[in-house]
Amino acid sequence: MADLRVTLCGKELKNPVIPASGTFGFGREFDKLYDISVLGGVCTKGLTLAPRAGNPVPRIAESRGVILNAVGLQNPGVDRFIAEDLQWLKQKTRVFANVAGSTVEDYAEICARLDGKVDFIELNISCPNVKCGGMAFGIRPETIRQVTEAAKGSLKRTPLVVKLSPNVESIAANAQAAEAGGADCLSLVNTFTGMAIDVERRKPIIANNTGGVSGAGIKPIAVRMVYEAAHAVDIPVIGMGGIVCAEDAIEFLLAGATAVQVGTQNFTDTFACPKIIEGLNDWCDRHGVKTVSELTGALTLN
Amino acid sequence: MREVTATILENKSIAEEIYSLTFACEEKIPVRAGQFCMIGVGAHPLRRPIAVCKAEGDRITVCYRLKGEGTRSLASDYKAGEKLSVLLPLGNGFSLKKEQKKIAVVGGGVGIFPLISAIREFSDREIYAYMGFRNKGAICMEYEMLRAKKLTVCTDDGSAGFRGTSVQALKEELFKVAPDAILACGPVPMLRALKGVVAGTGIPTYVSLEERMGCGIGACLVCTCGKADGSRARVCKDGPVFEIGEVVL
Repeated sequence: MADLRVTLCGKELKNPVIPASGTFGFGREFDKLYDISVLGGVCTKGLTLAPRAGNPVPRIAESRGVILNAVGLQNPGVDRFIAEDLQWLKQKTRVFANVAGSTVEDYAEICARLDGKVDFIELNISCPNVKCGGMAFGIRPETIRQVTEAAKGSLKRTPLVVKLSPNVESIAANAQAAEAGGADCLSLVNTFTGMAIDVERRKPIIANNTGGVSGAGIKPIAVRMVYEAAHAVDIPVIGMGGIVCAEDAIEFLLAGATAVQVGTQNFTDTFACPKIIEGLNDWCDRHGVKTVSELTGALTLN
Repeated sequence: MREVTATILENKSIAEEIYSLTFACEEKIPVRAGQFCMIGVGAHPLRRPIAVCKAEGDRITVCYRLKGEGTRSLASDYKAGEKLSVLLPLGNGFSLKKEQKKIAVVGGGVGIFPLISAIREFSDREIYAYMGFRNKGAICMEYEMLRAKKLTVCTDDGSAGFRGTSVQALKEELFKVAPDAILACGPVPMLRALKGVVAGTGIPTYVSLEERMGCGIGACLVCTCGKADGSRARVCKDGPVFEIGEVVL
C-alpha cells in the first residue's frame, strides 16, 4: 500500500484525486453509486451569488475523444449550497467550492460568504460559456491579478485556488499573475472553447453555438500547460484535462501537479475516480514508489 | 441505480433503422416503465441514454434508432455474447394512481418503446394505444402493443392503419374513450400537439422527454428542461416523465 496522501496549502487530502467542477454536482448523485468519502476532495458545481438557470439546451455534444459542454453555470446560488449541501459534503471529504461571478465585487462577495466554511475556494475565471464574467477575467494577466486580489481580500481562513483558462496567450504569465494576486494554488486547465456542427442542419449542435472542449483528446495540451504553469510559480498546482486512468493522472503529477481533477471521465465511467485512486496505488506499488507525492515534478526532460 | 456489465443476448434490426438490443445483467434489476439506461459504446466519451422497452428479471430490452456514430457503432460492433457497460435503472418512470384505470398511451417514433414498457407494466388497466410510425415499413413490436385493449397503429403516409399522427388519432376518440390518464412519448412537436388536444380536458397527462445527456444521474445539469414556474428540471433525474403542464415544450 503506497501512501497516497498529499498536502495542499497545509491541508491534507487522503489522495490526490478530485472530481472536477461541473461533472459531479455537489456529490450526492455519485454517492448513491459509491461512497464519495474515498475521494481526495470534491470540487463543486460553479456557484454564483444568485441562482442561475444556465443556457438553453442542447448543452452537450460529442466529438472524437472529446465532448463539448455549455451548461452556462446553472446552479442554485451560493446560499442554498451552504444551507442544503455543504454540511453533508464536508463530512464526506475535502470541499473545493468553485465560484464564479459577473463582476470583481461578485467574486469578493461569494468568497466572503464561503470563507472558513469550505476547505478550498476554486476561483472560476475561465468558464467559456457565460457571456459576461467567467473567462473574460481569465484571459489577461492584469484582470487575473485584479480578480484574484479581490477574492483573496475576502478570504481570511480558506485557501484560494485560481482555475486558469487554456484559451490564452501565455499560461506561464497568467499563472504568475494569479500568484502575484495572492493565489495559494492554481488549477488548470479549464475547457478549450470549441464548436461542433451538425452537417445535416448546418448548425452548431450546442444551443450556445460554442462550448468547452474536454476529455481524453485534450490531455497532451493540458499536460504541457500544467508543466509550464507549475514551473513558472512557487505555489502548488492541481492538474486536469482528459484524465481517464491512473497513468494519465501520473503524467500530470510528473509535470508538476500536486493533485489532479477528473471531469469528463466521470460521464464515461461513473466509477472513474475510485478506479483511478486504486490504479494510483497499484502503480506506485509496482514501481516501488512509497508516497505518491514523490511523483510531483519528478519529470526529467529529454 | 447501479452499473452492470451486461452480456448481450441479441442485437438485431427490427424495422428500418431501428434495432432491438437485449442484454442479461448480472442480477435481477427492478425497472419501472419509462425508466432508461445509459449504455457505454466503444471509445465514445458519452454513454447513450436509451429507454427500457422490456424488463424481465435480469433481461432488459432497449430499442434504438440509428442516428449518429454512437448508435451505428452499437448496432454494428456489438454482437451476442459480448459485454456492455450499462448504468440503470435511471429516471422516475411512469406512475399511475390505482383509480386511473382507463389509460391512453400515445407514442411517436422511438417514443413508442418506453410506452411498450408502460403497456406491459400496467397490463391490469384498460389500455388504449395510439402508436405512430413514419410508414408501414417502420412498424415494429406490434405483438407487444397488442397487449392493449385497443391498438391504433398510425402512419404518416397512410400506408397502414390510421393516416396521420398518433395525437390526431387520439383526438378523434378522446371523448369516446375518456381516459383517466394519458402517457405519451415522442418528438417535441408531437407532445406540443398533445398539449393542445388535452388542454381544458382535465385529463392527467404524463410525457416522457428526450434530451442530450452527460452523466445521466442528475449531477451535471446538462439535460435540463424549463418548467412552467420558471425553474429548470433535470430530464435524467427529475424526469424523464413530467406532467404535461409542468414543463415548457
